[in-house]
Formats: sequence, C-alpha cells, structure tokens
Amino acid sequence: MSQNKRGGAASKGKNSGRATGEEKREDVLQAVVIADAFQTRFMPFAVEKPRCLLPLANTPLIEYTLEFLAMNGVQEVYIYCGAHHEQIERYVHDSRWSPISRSCPFSTVEFIRVADARSIGDFLRDLDKRSLIDGDFILVHGDLVANLSLDAPLAAHRARREANRDSCMTMILREAGEDEHNTKAKVVTPVFVVDPRKKRCLHYEEMNPFQSEHYVGLDPSILEDPEVEARTDLVDAEIDICTPDILALWSESFDYELPRANFLHGVLKDWELNGKMIHTEIVSEGYSARADNLRMYDAITRDILSGWTYPFTPDCNLLKGQTYQLRDDHVYQEEDVIVENSSEISDAVLGRDTQVGSNTTISNSVIGRNCKIGSNVRITDSFIWNDVSIDDGATVEHAVVADMATIGKDATVSEGSLVSFGVQIDDKTQFNTSTFRDAEDDDAETDDLSRLQKSLVYSLEEFDIDGSSVSTLADEDYLSDDDSAASLTPIHPASRSRLSSFASDDSGAPNFPSFHADAVHGLLEVLRGVSGSFDSEKLEFMSLRLANNASDAAMRRAVATAFVRRSVDLMNAEQGGLEPAKAAKQALTSRKGATEFVADVGVGGDSVVEQVEFALAVQRACVSSAKVIEITKAGNLLAAVLQQMYDLDILEEEGIVAWWGDDRGKEGKEGDAMATVRDKCQALVEWLENAEEESEDDE
Amino acid sequence: MAPPKGGYAPSLGKFLDTLKSRPVNASVESLISLLKRRQINGSEACAIATAHILLQVVAKDKWSDVNELLGRIQLVGKKLVASQPRELVIANIVRRVLGLIRDEASEDRNDNPSDSSPDHRDPMNSPLPPAASEASSPTRPVRPPGALAQLGSFARTQSMFNLLSDPDFTSPPWSNASTPGATPGIASGASTPLAHGQTTDVHAFRSEVIDGIEEIMDEIKQVDEQVQAISEIIIHPGDYILVHQPSRTVQKFLTRAASKRKFTVFLVVDPSTTSAADDAYAPFRKSMASSGSIVVTVMNVGLMAYMSKANKVILGARAITAKGGVIVDAGAAAIARAARAQGRAVVILGGVYKISSENKFQQEELIEWGDPSKYVNFADGAMVSQVKVKSAVSEFIPGGDIDTYITNLGAHTRDHLHTILTDHYKEEDMSFDIYGKGQR
Repeated sequence: MSQNKRGGAASKGKNSGRATGEEKREDVLQAVVIADAFQTRFMPFAVEKPRCLLPLANTPLIEYTLEFLAMNGVQEVYIYCGAHHEQIERYVHDSRWSPISRSCPFSTVEFIRVADARSIGDFLRDLDKRSLIDGDFILVHGDLVANLSLDAPLAAHRARREANRDSCMTMILREAGEDEHNTKAKVVTPVFVVDPRKKRCLHYEEMNPFQSEHYVGLDPSILEDPEVEARTDLVDAEIDICTPDILALWSESFDYELPRANFLHGVLKDWELNGKMIHTEIVSEGYSARADNLRMYDAITRDILSGWTYPFTPDCNLLKGQTYQLRDDHVYQEEDVIVENSSEISDAVLGRDTQVGSNTTISNSVIGRNCKIGSNVRITDSFIWNDVSIDDGATVEHAVVADMATIGKDATVSEGSLVSFGVQIDDKTQFNTSTFRDAEDDDAETDDLSRLQKSLVYSLEEFDIDGSSVSTLADEDYLSDDDSAASLTPIHPASRSRLSSFASDDSGAPNFPSFHADAVHGLLEVLRGVSGSFDSEKLEFMSLRLANNASDAAMRRAVATAFVRRSVDLMNAEQGGLEPAKAAKQALTSRKGATEFVADVGVGGDSVVEQVEFALAVQRACVSSAKVIEITKAGNLLAAVLQQMYDLDILEEEGIVAWWGDDRGKEGKEGDAMATVRDKCQALVEWLENAEEESEDDE
Repeated sequence: MAPPKGGYAPSLGKFLDTLKSRPVNASVESLISLLKRRQINGSEACAIATAHILLQVVAKDKWSDVNELLGRIQLVGKKLVASQPRELVIANIVRRVLGLIRDEASEDRNDNPSDSSPDHRDPMNSPLPPAASEASSPTRPVRPPGALAQLGSFARTQSMFNLLSDPDFTSPPWSNASTPGATPGIASGASTPLAHGQTTDVHAFRSEVIDGIEEIMDEIKQVDEQVQAISEIIIHPGDYILVHQPSRTVQKFLTRAASKRKFTVFLVVDPSTTSAADDAYAPFRKSMASSGSIVVTVMNVGLMAYMSKANKVILGARAITAKGGVIVDAGAAAIARAARAQGRAVVILGGVYKISSENKFQQEELIEWGDPSKYVNFADGAMVSQVKVKSAVSEFIPGGDIDTYITNLGAHTRDHLHTILTDHYKEEDMSFDIYGKGQR
C-alpha cells in the first residue's frame, strides 16, 4: 500500500481541524470520492486518460463531482485513485481544488492510493483501516454530475440514525418515470424494493437483457411488510450517505467488489444476520446521474445542454478561464470563436479559438477548444474534444472524437464511432457504425454485456438475445452452454420488455433456461447427497423435461453440466481438493445409480451419434467451468471424465474417437478454450486408438 | 453529532460569518464560486455580499495609494461580475465603491488648501440631519427617505451639476455631499495634516472608505423601509393592485399601505410553484387580511381575465437599466405587456442600488435561463429527450412598458433615472468596461 501526499498541506489542514476541539470537529462533513471504477467502459479513451478527467460539455467530469461536494458544504475530501492516479493528482493539484490554493473550499483534499486494489471494495476496506472517517460521510464516484441539495437527506439520515443505531446508509435516488428515459440506466436495470413509509430498502437486484430469467426473487419475509414497492424507475447515481459502520461491513465481507450488485445486495440479503438497515431517499427534484458509460455520457451532455443541471451549465463557467455565453439558437460559445456566416449552428457548445468554416452544419454537438472545422462539414449529435481538426466535407454523426484527432477530407465517421486520441483518419474514409478507432489496438472484448456498456449507442440489434447463446452473470448459471440455437427456439427479443415487469410470465414460449437451471440444480442436490436418490431423481428429471418440453440436447446439456459441476466442486473443495481423475470418479460413482442415470438419460442410446453429442456437451461444460478453474485443469477434467465414462461403459471407444474427429469440438464459439480443453484429451484418444488396434491385432 | 444550523450547504449568512477569519483572496474566490453555483442568489443578497467583500478588500489588502486601491477594486469587481454577469447589482455596487473612493480621495486633496473643511461643508449638510432623525435611520442620512426625496434629489442635482462642470474632480468640497461617507464627524479625522497629492494618510483614508461602504450596506438594508413609505401615495382606498410573486420589498410595500387603507390585491403565482408558494405568501396573506384588505390568488393562466379589473400593477425589480428597462422574475414581463395594452399603470419597486448604468446589453444577454423542471417533470422521459424546454429565471421589461419607478429616493419617471445614475456613479466608473475580457 503506497500512499501519497499525506504530508504537507493536507495533513496540516487535518491537524488544525482536530486542534479546534471536538465540537467543531463534529460539524465537518467528509466525503470519499472513488475516482476509478475498475471498468473498461470508456475504452479506448480510458487508456490514456482516466474517466473522471474526460471532458463532459468541455469540463472534466471530476469538476462536477467536486463542485457538487462543495455545493453541499463538504469540508474534507478523500479521493481514491486507481489507474492514471498521477494524472488525477496532477490535475487536482493544478486546479482550484488544490489544498494549497486559496480558492479551495475544502479544508482537506487528500489522495489515497491503494497499490493492490482490484475493485471498489478494496478501496473501502482500505478506508476502514485508515480511521480517517469519524462520522457520517458522503460516498460518491468521480463521474457524478448532480445539483441536488443534500441538506434534507442528511438531516433525515441523522434522525433515523438517532432513532436506531443500525440504520447505516442512505442512498439518494432520483425518480425518472417508468417510461423510456435517456438518463436511466439502460443495460443494467437496478431494482430497488423499498418500504415507502419507512423508506427502507429491502432488496436490491440488477437485471440485464442477457439474463436468462427476467424475474426478481424476493424473500418471503419482505412481503410481510404492509407496504412494499419494487421500483425500476430510479436513476441511481450512487450518492450514499454512509456511517462508519458501512466500512466495517465492507471489511467483514472480503469478497464484495461492487457497491451495488455485491455489497448492497448482500447486506440486504443478510439482514437477519447483520441487522443493518439501509434507507433510500427518493427525490423528485434536482439532477443526479453518473457518466459511467458512454451512453450515459451522451445522455448527461444532452441534459446539461437543456439546462437540467442548472446551475452547472456551460455558461456558468465552472472552470477558471472559461468564458461561455449563451447565444441565440441555444449555442454556448466561448470568446474568440470564429464562425463563418454561412454556417448553421444550433444546440451546441463551442470552445475557445475554435474555427468553423463556411456552409458547415453543427447541431446537438459539443466542440472543444482550438478545433479547426472546415467548410461543408456536417457534425450532428457528436462530441469533439480539444484540438481536433476536421477537414472540408467531412461528416461526423453521433460519435466521440478525442483530443488531437484529425479527420480527413470527405471522410465519414458514422454513428457510434469512437475516435481516440491522436488518431488520423484519411481522406474519404468511411466508417461503419460502431467502429472503435484507437491508436493502440484494443484487445478484443467478447463479453456482450460489457460490450454493450462500452458503446455509445444503445442498440440490442447486433446481439443475439435468445437466452441460450448468451452467457449470464448470475452465479447459478455460470456453466452456460453454446448449443446451437437451432435446437432451441430462441426467445424472441421482444420479451425484453419483461425486464421491468414483475408479473408472472405466462407467455406460451417454453422456458429453456429455467429447465436447465432447475434440472442442474436438482441433479446437483442428489449428487451432493443432500436429498433423494437417483431413482426418484430420474422420475423428477423426466417430468421436468416433459413439463418444459425440453429437447434431447437440452437434457444432455443439463446432465453433462451437473456432473462437471460436481467434479469441479470436488476439485475446489476447501479441504482436500481432489485430483481431476479422482474427482471425476467420485462424481460418477459415489452415488448409487449415478452411472446408470448418465447412461440412460444423458446419453440416451447406444448409437455413436448420441455418444458424440454427449461428449460434446461434456466438453462444453468443461470449457464453461474454465471460468472458475484454470483452463488446463478444465482440460484435465475433461480427459478424466471421458476416461471414467469409458471405464464405466457409458461411452464406447467409437463414440470418443468419433467425438475427437467431430469438427464441432475443434472450434466452437468459445474459440481457443474449446481447442485448449480438447487438446488435453489427445493422450486419451491415442491410447484408445492404440487399444483398438491391439484388439484388432488380437483377432 | 451536531449538524450546523440550517444544514451544511453554504449560504450568504455562512459566507459572511467566515469573512473575518479568512484571507481576502480566499473570500473572493469563495464568493465567486458561490455566485457561480447560484448559492448566493437574488439582487439584494448579491449586493450585500459584494459590499462585504469590497469592504474586506479595502480593510485588509495592502495598498499605499488611491490608484492602487482603485485598481484592486476594479480587478475584484471584474472577477465577481464575470462569475454572475446577469446580476447587474454586483457591477453597481463595485461602481459605487469606486466612486466613493474617488470622492474620498478628491476630498482629501481638497482638504489640503483649506484646513477648516467642516465649516465648508456646513451649509450643505445643515438641511439634512433633521431629515435623518425624522426617518429614524440609525446612521447618518444616507439618502433622505420618503417625502424628503424631492429635496434630496434637488441637492444631488446640484452636485451633479458641479461634477459635470468640473470633470477633473477638483470640485469644491461640498460636492462630496453625494458621497455618504462625507460626514462632518469622519471628515474631521482628515484634518490630520496631509502630505501632498496622492500620499494621503492611508489609515484615515481607509477608515473613511470603510465607513462609506458600511453606509452603502445600510442603504441596501433600508430600501424596504424607505420604499414602503411611499406606498400611501401610490395605493388608494378601493384600488385593485396586481402583483406577481411579490418579493419582500413588494410585500412590505403592500402591508404598509394596507395598514392605512383597504384595497384588493391580485396575487399572481406561477401554477408550477403553487405548493411552495402557498407557504411563502402565507404570512403576507395573513397580515393583509388582518388589516381588512382582500387578497385574491390568481394562477398565471387566469391572469388576463383580471387585468381589466386591476388599476395598477406593482412589480419588484431585480435590476433597472439606464434606459429604464427592468429585469424581473420570469412571468412578470407578460404581465407588464398586458397591463400596457390595457392601459394600466405599471409600477416598479427597487432600491437605487439596482439602477445600473450599463446599457450596452442585448436584452437576451440579461435573461438567465434556469432548469426546465418548472414546466416539465424530469421523470417524463419522452419530453426530456424530444422537446427542448427553455425556462427563464428572469425576464426583461422594456422601459416603454413602465410608468413609474419607486426607489428609496422616491418616485421617478424614466427620464429621471439618468439623473439618479449620474448622482451615484462617477463618469469614469460608468465607462469602465467591467464586463470586458478579464484575465482568464
């Protein structure tokens, strides 16, 4: 753990604060700013600049955050930096927020760097150790834009705290209506279950369009409350009023990473255990949102231009040296901007020294300082940062163009494109939608969810939302499969609308994911010896299959998944994790009837085709398990399972050899992983082939 | 855990409390950000804050001669104005203080040849003290209030004449009657022998300027009192008065009139702010009712139906420009125009400190745009994303729509405003380009 700048001015301010005695001390409001989100959503820009320094309406994001804190009378600010900490520190040091500068409204601005932090959770656990916080504090993120007044929520929080020591946190949430709203989180929908009278939050869950089940599971005890609301209409800017107890809770649960999906969900779930209560303050006035992905960045910029963040609009000139004025046609313009008469500009922000040529159209866009924009250029809905030059005749539509980029003559940068720092685009180049343009090559990102969160334009079109081909985040289903969609009727994308409804789903479509989850769950229970035997399980399994009208493929997949998961369980057991071979053997033989079950239900016949299918299912299950165990181990496991099945006569050698020759096993959607896992079986297959030859020789 | 009274958020009161304990520059910066965040809001608050900060500059900053002080005030003034250019009173106060300093400086210089300065001033000052005692103003007669306004402005007219005739401000000592600081008691402090020209006794000079600024502050505070003294002249028994979201000044003006006579008030409120407005005007309603006058609340939409009934429209000004245009709360401009069309009298209330010498503005630049939540709920996603909603915080009424301006000096017409301006501001300060490009 390294720490920076704890000497000098910062700690001096601290000491003097302490010295003034206890009474005064208690009046000081503290805030913690998390300036790293451990996400890659702002790639490629975040490669060179931390998110909180990216300009939003030509003002770095962190300015809005600090301005919000100053507006609410915060005195001491602790900033946790991760990536690019030196840039953030330098920026704040050179700005009016520097503790040395006279203009700083805070008595303390301190940077804390945690060397081995990998998540926000690590930051907060570190904070717990430092004992810097001695009262209620405000926890915000470095990408917050808000103009709310915290006075009333703070007073309410205090009152609750006095009434009950266990109410330890108040979340500030902004109502945003149930309909479509730009500023609402689109990809992940937070669901808050709230007791409206006590304002207590009872349950929290996040939903996303790739989820297999569009349900929120509630604890029955929640419904014992006389009044409960489940709300998805809230903008959660993650402004929390916390007590130090919160930090202790973070420390207790060492594996929590995210403040909402992990921490909040967990603490609420374990309410019976920890007894801590979390409240919500749902406000219907003021503005608050986090620019935590590019789409929100887009939405917040629009909100700023339409004045929702007043007084934090461009013409309030937050930064020293800004000289924005509101002109006609809703154009915020700084001094020394040269615009040719024949060009049309509406709803835009133009930074200083920017030149706009003739016959150019700019609408709904933000243009930074010192940009050169040629003539006959069309810029719509875009974000052009500083020092960009756009040559004559170019078109930029709904894109982000970072500092120092150059766009050549007649080039077209179309919807959703991200042009990173210093990129040069040649004349007459055309970009298709959603192109990432980066000076350094960005590593390929495969996770659909994070890809969706990284794009500027929210569109589900390019994603295959059929519930079966998409890996989900939920722990229960980590062994998702990749069965070709042809064997399963895809769930129509329209069913996404169920995302925010809690009515029971009685549409006629067969619900495969739920069959898979239930079947795997049931099998695992039996395998673990928690309940039942395989005789009864077989009955149950078949009835489940009939009820869901599941295909053979789905069944195979469920059986294979269950057994592989059991093996993984055994390998990862806390005391005495087993070798893959032993684990496979134990999984297949320890329970009476397991072997027969696999042979009857899993493979379901003696033909080679069915054996190949089952072997493929096992392979895929192993590949999925590579998410929890190392990939080489997954390979070993596959070899061990196949070997064991061969020994137990579940699979015959023809089946395994045919599987080895099957193309589907060589490269699947998982790409490398399939091949890697498969390679481990080479020895087994060779041995089998040799055995075959030997037996032939014998004859 | 004792939270500070009234929450943590900074405000004018808290800002003023911290003034003494902080270095001047820090206070200036903090005021700038408060103005930018609109946490000090409204012309009176802005004026008071500006006066206080300039007082600190005069009192705490190091300066050795008048020019240095003037430069310093101009610099701070420019910064403050840049942080909230639409609040014209900030520039007004800066100019007043600049003028004050020039007056003191010229007085000091003129004191030199004639060391019996008190005698010189006597003839000018003698009519004023009785006025002061009448108005029971706690300090010296800043501005003769109420009925004496005529006399006061007459006196100033004279002084203006002298000013104009003598632009090098070697004017006779009695010209500084227009500066509040020039009172016999203080001036006697200047009888300490002065060196030559600029190098005056800085200490005495400083305290004179400080006294001057304090009197400006008193003037701001007394505006309501002095304005309401005129209410009986404006409001007659049985009148129908239409007011729009009355400011404190307007409310006091009406209550004072109601204590003597009975009349009807149409209280126009914005439908979007009714829930809050009901609370805000409850004490006003109560005091009106107790004195027997009637208050009718009118929603903005139904306003025009009542216009024909009303005799007078009374509006509180945020600022008054040199040409007579007035900046008012949003919604009032339409009322003023309707009143004009119907031929009803439009009366503007506001202290002298709200009258601005600035006239180079485009009227669009004076309008402040707020957040649209007044008209559109942010929760209405479709509206927020598809419709451009502009919501004005302030509006501009052209001078032609206004009949009477009532300040703490009395009632004026549009033509008269210029006289008040020249009385209160020095020529060189009026031409000082306070809005120009500052240092970045």
